[in-house]
Amino acid sequence: MTNDIANLRKRIREHFARGSVHPDDQTRITLFIQSIKAINSAVLAKVELQPFDWQPYRALHNQYYREVELATLIGKATAWSSNPFLYMEATNLNLELWNRTGAARYLQGLLALDETFYSYLALSHAFMSVVRFIPLLPTSMSLDTPFLQALKEVEEENGRQIQVQIRLLKEADCGLEAEQRERIVEEERNKVESCFRELLERIAPNGANA
Amino acid sequence: MPAYRSKRGHDLHYELHGGGEAPVVTIVNGLSMRTSHWAPYFSLLPAAGCRVLSYDMLGQGLSSKPVLGAGFDDHVDVLRELHEHLGISRPYVFGISFGGVVALKYAVAHADAIAGLLPVSTFSELDPQLRCHAWNLFTGLSRVGFEYYLDLLMPLNFSNRWLTENAELISLIRRVGASGNELFGIQNLMESLADFSGISEELGAIDCPTLILNAEYDYLTPRHLHEIIRRRITSSRLVLVPGVCHAFTLEVPQLASRLIVDFVRSVESGHWQGDQSVWIAAEDASADPLLLPCEGDHLRAIPIAPPTQAGKARSGGNEGGKESGRDKR
Repeated sequence: MTNDIANLRKRIREHFARGSVHPDDQTRITLFIQSIKAINSAVLAKVELQPFDWQPYRALHNQYYREVELATLIGKATAWSSNPFLYMEATNLNLELWNRTGAARYLQGLLALDETFYSYLALSHAFMSVVRFIPLLPTSMSLDTPFLQALKEVEEENGRQIQVQIRLLKEADCGLEAEQRERIVEEERNKVESCFRELLERIAPNGANA
Repeated sequence: MPAYRSKRGHDLHYELHGGGEAPVVTIVNGLSMRTSHWAPYFSLLPAAGCRVLSYDMLGQGLSSKPVLGAGFDDHVDVLRELHEHLGISRPYVFGISFGGVVALKYAVAHADAIAGLLPVSTFSELDPQLRCHAWNLFTGLSRVGFEYYLDLLMPLNFSNRWLTENAELISLIRRVGASGNELFGIQNLMESLADFSGISEELGAIDCPTLILNAEYDYLTPRHLHEIIRRRITSSRLVLVPGVCHAFTLEVPQLASRLIVDFVRSVESGHWQGDQSVWIAAEDASADPLLLPCEGDHLRAIPIAPPTQAGKARSGGNEGGKESGRDKR
C-alpha cells in the first residue's frame, strides 16, 4: 500500500468521523455501487444464454440475481441528495468506470472460457474486493441506519459472492499461463482502484474542511 | 509506514522497534492477525533489551494481497528477504498458529541464519480434529463472512475470564478485524493449508534453540500437536502457559514477553539447555522462578497422578509405567 493511498484512506476516515454519512456522500456511494452492479448485471445476463452444464453457470446465475437485488436494496436505503450537480458528477465517474475498465467489451458475443472471460472475472473480483466503504468509517460510528445497514449487507454479500471469482480465477482453464493470469488480475485491479480513488477524492477533497 | 518491496513486487508492511544491536525477535502472525496486534510487545520487548520486528504476511493487513494466493514457501522466502533487507542476520523467529508453521519452515530452510525459534500455539501437521476446525473456519469465512469467522475463533482464542472482562469490546474487535483485513487475503492463506502435507518429518533438521509455547486450554492446537514438535526438535523445551487459550499472547502479553525475553537471554548468555524438557509457567509474569518443571503427564487433561506414581500406587512400586512428563524422550 503506497503512502498516497494510506493518506487518502486516513483523510476519508477523518471526513466520516465528523458525523453521519451526509446525503451527498450516500448518493455518491450508491451511484458508484449501482454502476458496478449495472456492469456486472449486464455481463452476467449473458450467462443465461449458456447451457446448464457450463462449468461456471450455476454460480454466476446466482450472482446475477444477487447483483440486481443489491443494487435496488442500496438505492431504497439511500437518503438522496438534492444537489443536481452531484448527479452530473456521478454520471461522469460512471462513464469513466465503463471506459477505464473496458466493460463494454464483455457485452459482445457469447461467454467462453477464454482470456476475455478471465479478464471479466478479474474485474469483478476487483469490484467486490477493492470497493469497500465500511472499513473507511470510524469504528465508533454506529451502523444502525438504513443506509449503513444496506451498505454493510452489500459488502458482506460481496464477500460471499467473490467465492465464485476466487475459485474460477485460480482453477478455470482459460488457456492462460500463471504469469498471464497474474498480469490480468493486477491490471483489472489497478483500473478499479483508480476509479475508487477518484470517488474517494470527491468525497473528501484534499485540503477541504468538510 | 515502512514497507519492503519484495523481489516479486509485493509490498510487505513491517515495524521494527527497539534500537542498537540488540537481538531481534521477529513475530510471524497468526492467520487473521496484523502488526497492530503486537502493540504491547513494541514497548515490552525493547524495555527488556530486545528489538522486535513485526510484519503483515502477504494477504494480511497492510501488505500486498496476491489475488491468486501465496504458498508457505513464498512466506518463508519473503521473510528471509525482509531480514536481509533490514540487515538482520540471526533473528529469533517467533511464529504463532499459522505463523508458527512459517517459522518452523523458516528454521528448516535457514538453519544457519536463525538464533532461536519460538513455535507458539501451532502445529506441524494437520490431524483430523485440526482439519475439522480448519474446514469450519474456512466455511464460516467463505459462506457466511469475516465477522462470523471471527465469532468462531473467539471462544477458541480467549479464556472465559478475558471474554467476561472484555464483553463490550468484542463487537469492536469483530468490526476492526473485518475492516482491517481483506476476506480473500485471509482465505488465500487458509487455502494454502489445503495442500499442506505436514512438515513433522523435516523438523529433525532444526538444531537451533527452540522454545515451544502451548496454552493450557488451547483446544484449536492442543498439546499433542506441540508434543510432536518437542519430540522432533532435540534442542527444544516445551512451556505450558496456564489458564489461557490459543491466542494467549494477546491475553497475557506481559507473561508472554517475559517468556520470550528469558529465552533470548538464556541463549545469548550461553545458558540455554535444549533438552526437550517440559515446564509450566507461573501465571504471574513477575514470578521468580517463572518456570517450574512439569512433574505430571503433560499430555493428559485429566489431573491424574504422574504415570509412574500411579503405577507405583497400583503395583506397590513394582510397575515401571511410563516415563515422567519431564523426561527427555
